[in-house]
Amino acid sequence: MKTAAIVPAFNEAESLPDVLQEIKQAFPEHLIVVVDDGSTDGTSEIAKEFGCVCLSMPFNLGIGGALRLGFRYCNEKEIERAYQFDADGQHDPTQISLLLSGLQKADMVIGSRFSEENSYEVGRSRKTAMSFLRFLIRLSTGHKFTDTSSGFRAFNKPVIGLFSEEYPLEYMDSVEAILIAVKNGFNVREIPVQMRERSAGQPSNRNFRLIYYFLRLLIVIFVGSRRKTEGKA
Amino acid sequence: MSSSTHILIAVLALGAFFLIVRLVRLKVLKAKYSILWLTVGSGLAIVSAVPQILDWAAERLDIWYQPTLFLLLGIGFLLLLCMHFSYELSRMENRIRTLVEEIALLKEKLEKEN
Ligand SMILES: Nc1nc2c(ncn2[C@@H]2O[C@H](COP(=O)(O)OP(=O)(O)OP(=O)(O)O)[C@@H](O)[C@H]2O)c(=O)[nH]1
Ligand SMILES: [Mg+2]
Repeated sequence: MKTAAIVPAFNEAESLPDVLQEIKQAFPEHLIVVVDDGSTDGTSEIAKEFGCVCLSMPFNLGIGGALRLGFRYCNEKEIERAYQFDADGQHDPTQISLLLSGLQKADMVIGSRFSEENSYEVGRSRKTAMSFLRFLIRLSTGHKFTDTSSGFRAFNKPVIGLFSEEYPLEYMDSVEAILIAVKNGFNVREIPVQMRERSAGQPSNRNFRLIYYFLRLLIVIFVGSRRKTEGKA
Repeated sequence: MSSSTHILIAVLALGAFFLIVRLVRLKVLKAKYSILWLTVGSGLAIVSAVPQILDWAAERLDIWYQPTLFLLLGIGFLLLLCMHFSYELSRMENRIRTLVEEIALLKEKLEKEN
């Protein structure tokens, strides 16, 4: 089955080599698509050195925009399943098969770090924000998710198709993406996975923007229209 | 309406008119916007030439202080315009994003061929 790893990378030159090396070693048959939008530290050169597909955009579109491009590429190349993998070394390549095996029973699989087997801690305000979000998502989708912001995810072909057009472009895209998939009738499932600490670089600190994104997400949840695309589980 | 308001509106209308014509001539203003602004300019000009229109309308609407009507109309118009610009901006942003994606895809294809 044609499988691709979508790796969004923004100034991750430090950790990217190890990440790419590990994926390649474990899954030489996987196509690795690095999406770089405006990194200034040679991130895209590293991706090319490793022989990965490197999509680079002239300026920063944010992680949502980067992912949508990744999905678009996969869709054009008729990739049958794809998984999202962070470039900062937080995701564990040994967990990829586990994630992909989840696709047998679902259209989209989220590798969750909040189930019993977790070893990862996040900041307090983000924790509060996340628990509120979980509640809202449960309210609007009727499903329970424990780790809505996890960027360790796998998608089947129909979901790749949907996201190549409809992937949310703003911060908290991870949450909105779940909503879009569920609203389109796809079966989204969570499985517990192991994650690591960042291996290099700065963790994202956008807490001060949380309120704005919260309001935006509220609007998305309650006002957002049902999309036209039909899903099949 | 007092004569000083009258003069102020006339000056504004005239200024706006010259500005619009100049901008269109310099080709920095798209035709569709020039039409919009010229309409506004003409409206202003008419109202300042025949202030009785405003007085009459204000009376019909039970507005005692006539310039209020003028302000009301102005604010309403600006709100609509802002909404229109928000719409155009969103659309433009979408288009730019799609373009940027397309560029990245093309660049990748090109580099692979070389
Ligand atoms: N292309 C691209 N990738 C990005 C952008 N922002 C973040 N990323 C990548 O997305 C992945 C996750 O980003 P992080 O900042 O680690 O986000 P996170 O893991 O949710 O948050 P932390 O717990 O703080 O690490 C990393 O591989 C980043 O390089 C961006 O603007 N463009
Ligand atoms: Mg991270």
